[in-house]
Amino acid sequence: MTLDIETLVDLYRDMWLIRAFEFGLEREFKKGNVPGMLHTGVGQEATQAALAAHLQASDAFFPDHRCHGINALAQEKHQGDGERIMAELFGRATGVCSGKGGSLHSANPKVGNFGDNAVEGSYMATVLGVALAYQMRGQPNVACCIIGDGTVGRGEFHESLNMAAIWKLPVLYACVNNGYAISMPVGKGHASADIVDLARGYGFPCEIVDGNDIEAAYDAVQRAIAHIRAGNGPYFLEFKTWRWQGLFSGEFRSPEEVKYWKEDRDPLKLAREKILAQGKLSAEDLERIEAEVKAEIEAWIDFAKASPMPDPAKATADVYVGWEVTA
Amino acid sequence: MTQATTRTRTFVQALNEALDIAMARDPNVYMLGEDIGEMGGDFGVTRGLWAKYGDARVRDTPLSEAAIIGASVGSAMLGMRPVAEIMFADFIGECYDQLVNNAAKMHYMFDGQFKAPIVVRTACGGGFGGGPHHSQSVEGWFLNVPGIVLVAPSTPADAKGLLLASIENDNPVIFLEHKALYRIKGEVPEGYYTTPLRKAAVARAGSDVTVVATMKLVHEALAAAAELEKEGVSVEVIDLRTIRPYDAETVLESVRKTGRAVVANEAPKIGGLAAELSATIGEECFHDLKAPVARVAGLDTPIPFSLVLEKYILPGKEEVIAGIRSVMK
Ligand SMILES: Cc1ncc(C[n+]2csc(CCOP(=O)(O)OP(=O)(O)O)c2C)c(N)n1
Ligand SMILES: [Mg+2]
Repeated sequence: MTLDIETLVDLYRDMWLIRAFEFGLEREFKKGNVPGMLHTGVGQEATQAALAAHLQASDAFFPDHRCHGINALAQEKHQGDGERIMAELFGRATGVCSGKGGSLHSANPKVGNFGDNAVEGSYMATVLGVALAYQMRGQPNVACCIIGDGTVGRGEFHESLNMAAIWKLPVLYACVNNGYAISMPVGKGHASADIVDLARGYGFPCEIVDGNDIEAAYDAVQRAIAHIRAGNGPYFLEFKTWRWQGLFSGEFRSPEEVKYWKEDRDPLKLAREKILAQGKLSAEDLERIEAEVKAEIEAWIDFAKASPMPDPAKATADVYVGWEVTA
Repeated sequence: MTQATTRTRTFVQALNEALDIAMARDPNVYMLGEDIGEMGGDFGVTRGLWAKYGDARVRDTPLSEAAIIGASVGSAMLGMRPVAEIMFADFIGECYDQLVNNAAKMHYMFDGQFKAPIVVRTACGGGFGGGPHHSQSVEGWFLNVPGIVLVAPSTPADAKGLLLASIENDNPVIFLEHKALYRIKGEVPEGYYTTPLRKAAVARAGSDVTVVATMKLVHEALAAAAELEKEGVSVEVIDLRTIRPYDAETVLESVRKTGRAVVANEAPKIGGLAAELSATIGEECFHDLKAPVARVAGLDTPIPFSLVLEKYILPGKEEVIAGIRSVMK
């Protein structure tokens, strides 16, 4: 499929925003300005941009550990303050969770972000309840969970797909198959390297999508969401993609593999070629967009750094609703 | 407050009344679990409710404990009030992650933006030959989890009032139903009422020694107290009712008065509720104590099947009496 130029350029900008966000964050992480752990979504921008484009603020998505990008896009799109995702990762009071969540637990229900859970894939179970609430209330919303290929090893994968199927729940499973779970290749960790093979038995539509082709990803998400909103029950999308980040200790994949994915299959490069092929924008136009986005991300980083740390006394707030911690 | 009419009801009937009332009062309340629908649950607690409220609000599930709790939490994030049944508390390990990492932390880690007002009803406790996987007391598994509420009634009236209060509470509640109490009878007020959470009850007033107990052991403690009364020992029995966060004030006030404390729970002694209570009493009442705090608890073993073996490891009236005697010396 071919997207119209406006949509394509918007998506290109969103993808750039994700990449600039992650590179800026990684730079600050290496300088010691960002505590904790860092997993980036570089290389997987098309999937996140496509999901962000179709999910509404009234829908729900559960982001995973590589989802700073979709978190920032949702925050920016629905509230215009993407910098609060950055601030959260810096552990600041201005973050979306006032610094209590960080990279692995950023949430904001007002933009449909139902929060990451760093016990990978636990929310494959939680997403059922959000979908069930939509169903019981007759709301045409979608509850989406974003899961990695490795996460599919959890028992909750079966429980979730089975229950979503028997109750015909409005769940979108967005499985980001980037080939590895830390060091474990997908075909070694699962009975099939195609996750859809594990999902098909539950009897709802499952598709493999080229996760590095923004047009294919956009189209697939649109199709899946239309199916779900129409009351037809769950849908499973497996995005084939590749993460640029290696292990914390360095690169573990073959030079050929790295070269293939970074040079031939870079989703941003592919999107750029598509835009230029339409002949309506020049390379300079795209460079201007890239520069704008980078400047915005630097402003977000400055905002995060300038933001106050949380009041330490807040550490005991909100353990219980309505009750103070006593011990 | 006008005194409501009471009727004699079993613990199970009292729970059933509470669920019926909660479902009728609030359309956001619904139930899910294994065989809770037409069958009415393994112990009959949900009997008749499927016929009254239908499939959508009384939901039978497959054997998917993680999905049961996950679905509960997710729907609670949007304001539903799920009451989940985990058939036997022993199975709660299957959804431990959902409870500990999701339900308990949801409100905190997302800075108050979400709540997880779920109730997880579950049948716990031994004494009937259920064996290692159908008899355990699991409160200790959750005692170290900030954000979780543990409720443990011992009488039919409290079972009803505490369940209604738990359903209305905005926190995730694990509601422990001791299987040995399901058939006991008691006076239960008609209609709607709640029994406050985090409030212990003085089940029997006394002046010489305080026994703090939960669930079945409240009854064992009351029996022990009746027996020791004949010897002139006046025993105060505190029914903790909410195990986490617990009502330290009522416990400490009683111990300051009596100067002696026995803490009793059915779970193994090491690392459990009895250990926690005894530490708190020690910290707060050291100078009031006339004797070291005694713990009455299960032995440090899994629960064996054969009734003689099971009786050997689980505490009952005799062990409570021995505990009281040890602090009266
Ligand atoms: C339940 C659980 N097990 C293990 C981990 C540690 N861990 C963090 S990320 C990860 C790999 C996840 O792989 P995948 O789902 O494919 O995501 P990717 O990092 O490739 O995007 C593991 C094992 C975890 N966080 N949670
Ligand atoms: Mg992976």
